[in-house]
Amino acid sequence: MTYIITEPCIDVVDTGCIDVCPMDCIHGTENDKMLYIDPEDCIDCGGCVPACPANAIFPEAELPEQWKHYTQINADYFKGKK
Amino acid sequence: MPSANPKPRSYRIVGPQRQIDERETPHPRVDRGELGEKLRRWRTTNAGTDPFRRVLGPAGGGAPNPYNSLQHIMCAVPEGPVNPERRPVPDTAKMARNIKEVARFFGATVVGITELDQLYVYSHRARNNATMGEKSGDPVNLPHRYAICLGFESDYEKFLANNSRISDADYGLGNIHTIPTTFMLASYIREMGYAARAHHYGRSEINPIPLAVNAGLGELGRHGMLIHEEYGSRLHLSVVTTDLPLAVDKPVDIGAEEVCKYCMKCARTCPSHSIPFGGKEVYNGVEKYRINVDSCYKYRLASRGQWSNCVICVSSCCYNKPTAWWHTLATKSIKWTPPSLRVLIIKPLLWIDDLFWGKRPWKHMKWLDYDNAPETNARICNIPGCNVKHANLQHKKLHTA
Repeated sequence: MTYIITEPCIDVVDTGCIDVCPMDCIHGTENDKMLYIDPEDCIDCGGCVPACPANAIFPEAELPEQWKHYTQINADYFKGKK
Repeated sequence: MPSANPKPRSYRIVGPQRQIDERETPHPRVDRGELGEKLRRWRTTNAGTDPFRRVLGPAGGGAPNPYNSLQHIMCAVPEGPVNPERRPVPDTAKMARNIKEVARFFGATVVGITELDQLYVYSHRARNNATMGEKSGDPVNLPHRYAICLGFESDYEKFLANNSRISDADYGLGNIHTIPTTFMLASYIREMGYAARAHHYGRSEINPIPLAVNAGLGELGRHGMLIHEEYGSRLHLSVVTTDLPLAVDKPVDIGAEEVCKYCMKCARTCPSHSIPFGGKEVYNGVEKYRINVDSCYKYRLASRGQWSNCVICVSSCCYNKPTAWWHTLATKSIKWTPPSLRVLIIKPLLWIDDLFWGKRPWKHMKWLDYDNAPETNARICNIPGCNVKHANLQHKKLHTA
């Protein structure tokens, strides 16, 4: 399992989650409109959830229905980049 | 078999319990890849990249040869033949005193005795042992009546250099130190004519923490470990189970139950957010603080890019202090104050603790070729174009606070 960043992060990109992530597994570039969690490195600690002012981060198993596709969006972001 | 009376305060049985299968514990789960392929791969490769770490660790986990692992060699024979000439025990209290003195002579720091509650015996074993003819998946049959719980103190200073090769080395050595003492104590009992088995790091059929709480060595803390009045949580535990008739000890009230309610230092400092800030939960019929074992274990992937046990919660616990009169004064004051009034003394003591020891206890140490100083430069991200500042929590927040 992993945690997933979803739609509310778009254009917010607060980066508070990056400070609390013990695994440094939240990434993003200047051109990205949101941040992404690397599902391979995430240890499911949930530390990023309270740090997000936009309430954009959910555990994979508790993703709201309308944002289910963000699991793939987060995973796809890292494909071919590592 | 019922637990010793009176009941311990730091955990409460509220429903039916089942015996835990050793295969459900973290190491076997990681070996099976249940916590992710990356972690499994790390345990078999990166865990043993450092020769010094390999010597202190168990066989496997990167150690190339089991005969270079003292743990592996010493773990082979937890049980042996029992002397047919049984020595009578007319006075169980006298025998208990004898056993405790012998255990301390062999190397234990603290000793307590309780009845062996079968609920803390694993239902099935997870490890093969060719010497004893034991196989993973075999049901465990441990009919012994008593559990002699041993605690071994770790080095206070080295544990303060937490989340580094230095604290990890002491942790590894502490694991090894439990084995000869436990082995010798079990052998001593067998030579007196009574069945006994050694349960120590790497070869255990029991969960030592609830047994140690029942044996009066301390209380169960918020971080899921034993808290001893003097040594805090820096005690490695091992157990000898036996049929030797012994007088048992009672669970103790050292006030850790109240301290854990207000302190939260372990929860605040845990880099993997594995220790709860909230109240107790019921798991397997037991009401206790429930830590996130998986995220705690997986954090090994992040600890300085090495495989090491972080032990931040052990060193940050307010009971973790060097032996000194002011520490004894503080712990005794809490212990001797009635539970309902303890909050009045705990809060000022916690304030003093933060003032003198810091909110996140940590010490810079150089030892051998190791230096646990925070890395000055942020780690270079391996994702092309990523511009977020990665520096790993332990370095950017934990040690600069």
